[in-house]
Amino acid sequence: MNMGDHLLSWILFTPLLGMVVVLAVPSSNKYLVRWVANLAALASFLVSLQLVLRFDTHAAGFQFVERASWIASLGVNYSIGVDGISYLLVILTTALTLLSVLASWSEVEERLPAYYAMLLLLETGILGVFLSLDFFLFYVFWEAVLVPMYFLIGIWGGERRLYAALKFFLYTMTGSVLMLIGILILYFAHANQFGVRTFEIADLMRVQLPIAAERTVFWLLFLGFAVKVPMFPFHTWLPDAHTEAPTAGSVMLAGVLLKMGTYGFLRISLPLLPNASQDWGIVCILAVLSLIAILYGALVSLMQKDWKKLVAYSSVSHMGFITLGIFSLNVKGLTGAVIQQINHGISTGLLFLLVGIIYERRHTREIAEFGGVAHRMPNYAVVFAIAMLSSAGLPLLNGFVGEFTILQGAFEVNPWWAALAVPGIVLGAAYLLWLYQRTMLGELTNEKNRQLLDLNLREWAVVLPLVAAAFWIGIYPKPLFEIVEKPVAQIMDRLHRTELHQKEVQP
Amino acid sequence: MPTTLLERYFPVVLQAILAFAIGTLLIGASAILGKRVRNAVKNTAYECGMTPYGTAKERFSVKFYLVAMLFILFDIEAIFLYPWAVVFRDLKMFAFFEMLVFVILILAGFFYIYKKGALDWTAEELKPVQHKIHVDLMPADPVPSEKVTHAA
Amino acid sequence: MPANFMPSAAEYFRFAPEIILTIVGTLVMILEAMTGDRDKSSLGYVSLLGLAAAMAAAVAANNDPGLAFQSMIIVDGFATFFRVLVLGVGMLTILVSTNYLSEAKANSGDFYALILFSVVGQSLMACANELIMIFIGIEISSIASYILAGYLRDDRRNNESALKYFLMGSFATAFLLYGVAWIYGLTGSTNLGEIRTVLSHGTAPTAMVGISAALMLVGLAFKVSAAPFQVWAPDVYQGSSAPISAFMSAGPKAAAFAVMVRVFYTSFDSISNQWEPVFWIMSLATMVIGNFAALQQRNIKRMLAYSSIAHAGYVMVAVTSHSAVGTAAVMFYLASYCLMNIGAFAVVTWMARDGEKFVEVDDFSGLAQKQPFVTAILTVLILSLVGVPLTGGFFGKFLVFKAAIDSHLMWLAILGLLNSAVAAYYYLRVLVVMYFREPGASTVNLPPVAGTLRVAMLVTTLGTIALGIFPGLILGFATQSSTLGK
Repeated sequence: MNMGDHLLSWILFTPLLGMVVVLAVPSSNKYLVRWVANLAALASFLVSLQLVLRFDTHAAGFQFVERASWIASLGVNYSIGVDGISYLLVILTTALTLLSVLASWSEVEERLPAYYAMLLLLETGILGVFLSLDFFLFYVFWEAVLVPMYFLIGIWGGERRLYAALKFFLYTMTGSVLMLIGILILYFAHANQFGVRTFEIADLMRVQLPIAAERTVFWLLFLGFAVKVPMFPFHTWLPDAHTEAPTAGSVMLAGVLLKMGTYGFLRISLPLLPNASQDWGIVCILAVLSLIAILYGALVSLMQKDWKKLVAYSSVSHMGFITLGIFSLNVKGLTGAVIQQINHGISTGLLFLLVGIIYERRHTREIAEFGGVAHRMPNYAVVFAIAMLSSAGLPLLNGFVGEFTILQGAFEVNPWWAALAVPGIVLGAAYLLWLYQRTMLGELTNEKNRQLLDLNLREWAVVLPLVAAAFWIGIYPKPLFEIVEKPVAQIMDRLHRTELHQKEVQP
Repeated sequence: MPTTLLERYFPVVLQAILAFAIGTLLIGASAILGKRVRNAVKNTAYECGMTPYGTAKERFSVKFYLVAMLFILFDIEAIFLYPWAVVFRDLKMFAFFEMLVFVILILAGFFYIYKKGALDWTAEELKPVQHKIHVDLMPADPVPSEKVTHAA
Repeated sequence: MPANFMPSAAEYFRFAPEIILTIVGTLVMILEAMTGDRDKSSLGYVSLLGLAAAMAAAVAANNDPGLAFQSMIIVDGFATFFRVLVLGVGMLTILVSTNYLSEAKANSGDFYALILFSVVGQSLMACANELIMIFIGIEISSIASYILAGYLRDDRRNNESALKYFLMGSFATAFLLYGVAWIYGLTGSTNLGEIRTVLSHGTAPTAMVGISAALMLVGLAFKVSAAPFQVWAPDVYQGSSAPISAFMSAGPKAAAFAVMVRVFYTSFDSISNQWEPVFWIMSLATMVIGNFAALQQRNIKRMLAYSSIAHAGYVMVAVTSHSAVGTAAVMFYLASYCLMNIGAFAVVTWMARDGEKFVEVDDFSGLAQKQPFVTAILTVLILSLVGVPLTGGFFGKFLVFKAAIDSHLMWLAILGLLNSAVAAYYYLRVLVVMYFREPGASTVNLPPVAGTLRVAMLVTTLGTIALGIFPGLILGFATQSSTLGK
């Protein structure tokens, strides 16, 4: 199979092909459906691995760019490409999809073909967001992600799934329609200034807007991205969606879907609106919102009685770190943010998978129902400990690398930011350790937990890759930093140049 | 050439005033000057000079309405022949063919109502018009009408 | 008398679609009268052929665009687009209706003849270049629609619906005619182009021109069910048979928008500063009323009626933007709207059964488990109505709001888009009911999907998807034609 010239298209559409195949399999044969779905996810992961082999870390700009006209009269192109930031997210997406499909083997029984089809469709949607170089294409994929996620939560979710699914849909939809207006303003500004109708992000960078207009556009785009991240105070859909979603849904949601928001800031807000992004007022507001998210998320996590909800709120806190890193607007902060995106995907993904494993056995997520589980499931307890420590940011595990770099970046801008974020880490350690203590340690008090079985082979296969990745990034993060270096430098370059430009113009 | 709006429409205004004045005048005059006589015969409804009997709210066959409506339709359509007659000398064959089309269309309509039995006066033993549509679509439970009535 | 009064062959050629439709309509009517009591599905196919022939004629006529019959008719890209659209709506309506009528034992040629006549009117509206022609078109279209609304004449709901539609409709047309009379008095012409010329001199008193434009707007706003003249729509759509609701919500609306765009963009171009604010308010009010009222509805026909009001509001946004881009957006939006709305009503037609017993949103409970095909169809259509990407509905909305921003109607665009987020709520409820509820009494013993209905569902759904993935299919043509042959 020669994928040489269209590697990214192959990556993008392999899950879609897989979806078609899954739907074509007779739905009565559940075993076959499961195998086909797993193979489809595996295939798309293997296709994306080609990227690992061929991606050039030292090259600046986008690689494997493909461009074709889609809607000529509007100037919409199908143009996709990959740089260091999206490269990491693409691999994370395909890997996490594979693991969540594998994890669903015994969890989901109803309407199997549709379930796997939705997961694979979701994968295509998310990959599309990360690969798009055309703002319109970006928006199309951005919105398209809503549909499979809505069904995943709504059909295969927990008890309050309807409410959660609807809330998720309406929040994100409202955010993204406002984003659409921002996109259109940029589009028309470009058409007016250069006489060319285009949605290419690279071209839209040339647009010069008056600062007031740029601020308006920034806030419009912000609403779209912030709902997805989610930033405080747009986060209220997240706990509901996470708690009600099936395991695979939660993993995808926390692991990659939230990254769409932060990716939007990195790929679009900063390069396209450098003046507004560096506007001190805006930066302060965003930093404060991030700090609130960090502390508030951690505090609320501390109070949770539901295992999954605890992990969900911890996501709010961790995503706060990422946005804090981004709006530190320096090399350290941005690098940390990009790396933390991956780390959060790994550690929170792992946590959700583990919650899913225990939920499948006990059908409850009440923390009070557990205790002393380590006696019955020693291996599980070990893996859970690793996941927890990685999420809490223990050195030598992945979480530490990202958070530490972000804190360095924040410190450079304003020591107070770092000082206020550190309690978030402490609280994070607190709620996770307390969770561990209440569930894994102590005496085995609840009779129902006596029958628990330890991890089986398939579950090992699901968790081991993530554990390995957590250690690898924690011990030897250098390759990651190398990958991120170029794109971050590019963003910084873009920010600095406008800064200089501003200075030249103003006096 | 009258220029302002008022000037242009002055005749219209004048006519309106005149019409109003005459109307008021005549009715007023008859009210003031007229002699009033009341008797039983004068107070009955006028029915072609015959003595009226029975109630006016009597039901009678829908056929009357049908025929009346059809009459009005065809009658009005025939009116188009008058303006046509005025200009057909100028328009020559074009007018002829146009009117032919018009008449054919009317004939088609006539044929339709004829075949449908709308002109069949001897009602019951013959097929009612469009009898196929006479299906009882009223559901047994009387929900629908309530549903419809709650307005916007 | 002009010497060249005799129309040329080219002029007849430009008017061929209407001629064909009239002939076929009359033929169907006569055949109906001659063939007695049999089931008349075959006449449905005759009508389909007639519509197809008319569509071919409409497309062919576009190869030789121009005026006809003393400039009463104009054939340009814009007219052709709407002609093809209303003809397509007619075809889809017939496909949706055939089986429904057979089940109601009311499958007669009258129905098809009325559909054809109504389409003649709409087609005439699309290509009229003169106010009297517009009026005649509206009347032909409306009178047939009034009868269609009450077609099942033993059904009380049908009767109520027809009477309401008739009374309000004739009232609205009276306003329109009054406006036409005023404008004739002011300008001495009923030709759109001549009116434009006279008005651009600025000699006619502005206030009076404004009043006549307002009177015409009342009539047209009624036809497109724009606020505050939308009150009739929910009652009429709910009361009429589902296939007829599909027809009324698509064809007449599209044709009336074509007239609205042509009249206001051509004749009233020079007083646009007067009508633009009015349109601004009307479009916002229409969107808000439609969407917020739809939130409350339990009856799916009523919900779709309010949603169609909301969609009229989106189209009004594009009209308000008063630009070629706006015209193209109107065209694209209406095409995708007709497809998705008829498709949705086709599903309702199939679901309703037994004199429309099952028309509540809740009646769709658990449909996903019982009838995956129809569920899939309705899912796509609902997502398109919501405006999710890769559907026609998304591009429609995108183009509309793009046009609005292009004309600096920033607030209208923001409020409109927020409205479309509100709309997601009530559309999604249908999906919720279909997928997430257990099947109930209404979803047992589901009838098979009749062949014709299946075709209609597939055409609308695939069309919706096609417009979502390759909007260029008609967007290119719409953009070219958006200058209105001026």
